Amino acid sequence: MSIAGDLIRGHTDAIILARLLQSDSYGYEINKIISTLSSGRFELKEATLYTAFKRLEESGFIASYWGDSGAGARRRYYTITPAGREACLRLLAEWEETKEIMDQLLKTEERT
Amino acid sequence: MRDQLIRYVDLLFAGAHDAGDIRQEILQNTLDRYDDLVAQGKTPEAAYSLAISGIGDISEILSGGAVPPEIPTPAAAVTERTEPQETPVWKKVLRAIGICLYILCPVPLFVLQNEIGLCGLLTIVAVATALMVIAGGKSGNDAPRKEEPIPTSPRSELHKAVNAIIWAVGLCVYFLLSFSTGAWYITWILFLIIPAVNGLVKACMDLKEASRNEN
Repeated sequence: MSIAGDLIRGHTDAIILARLLQSDSYGYEINKIISTLSSGRFELKEATLYTAFKRLEESGFIASYWGDSGAGARRRYYTITPAGREACLRLLAEWEETKEIMDQLLKTEERT
Repeated sequence: MRDQLIRYVDLLFAGAHDAGDIRQEILQNTLDRYDDLVAQGKTPEAAYSLAISGIGDISEILSGGAVPPEIPTPAAAVTERTEPQETPVWKKVLRAIGICLYILCPVPLFVLQNEIGLCGLLTIVAVATALMVIAGGKSGNDAPRKEEPIPTSPRSELHKAVNAIIWAVGLCVYFLLSFSTGAWYITWILFLIIPAVNGLVKACMDLKEASRNEN
C-alpha cells in the first residue's frame, strides 16, 4: 500500500481537479469521496489536502469561497476555474498516456 | 470530545499568526470527519484519535510562504512553481551601485594622476567591495537552488550571448584604443572594466526579470 500510496499522492492535484470538475466541494467532502472511490484504501491527510488547495489556488486552477451551512459550520468551498478545467483535461490525457505506457512496460508473460 | 477536538486544533495553530482561515478550514474538516466517524458507530474516543491522525503534519502549512510540492511528479508539473524567495531588490540595487563604483574607480587616478588619485581609487574599490559583501549572500543560500533551472532556461542562454558580445566588443576596443593611442601602459584597465560592465548588464537583466516576475 505504501508504494501505491506514494504513487497516488503524486497525482493529488489531478485527483482534486477531477473531483472539482464534477462539482464545487470542500475539504472533508473531497476526502470522503476519495475514500469512498478507493473503497477506503486511500485517503489524504488534512495537511496534504490543504497544501494542494493552496498550490492550486495560487496557480489559478481553483478558487475558493466561504459557505455557511446550518449548525454554525463555516466551510471553505472550492470551485474549478477555466484554467483549472484545461489543466485537469491535460492531466487526464497525460494519465491515460502514462497508464498505457506503464501497461506496456510491465507486461509480462510467465515462462512455462 | 468535540470541544476537546476544537481545543486540540486551536493548540495546533496557537503559535501561528494570521492563521484564522487555515485554522477554520482544518478545524471544520476535522469536525466533519469526527461527526462522520461517530455517525458510523465509532466511539467518541476512537473518532477523536482518528480525526486527529487525519490532520497530518501541518508544519509545512504553518511555515507559510511558498508551498513546495511534496513529491516531484507529473502532477506537480502543472503547477507553475513559484521561485522561492527572489533576491530582494535592495540587494540588487546595492550590487549595481557596487559595480558602478568598480567601473568609476579609476576616475580619480585619471583626473589627479598622483598618489591622492590612487588613494581615491583604492577607497572607491573598498567601498564597492563592502557594498558587494553586504549585498552578498547570493553565493550562500539561494545559489544552488537557482542554478538548477538555469542551464536550460532561455534566460541563461541570453546571458551567455550577451556575455560573449561584451567580451568580443571589449577586446576590439582594447586593441583599437591601444594601437591608435599607443597607450598600452593604461589600456589594460579595460580588462577590469569589461567584467564590471558585464556584471552591470547581468544585474540589470536580473532586476528586469525580477520586476517582471512580480507583475
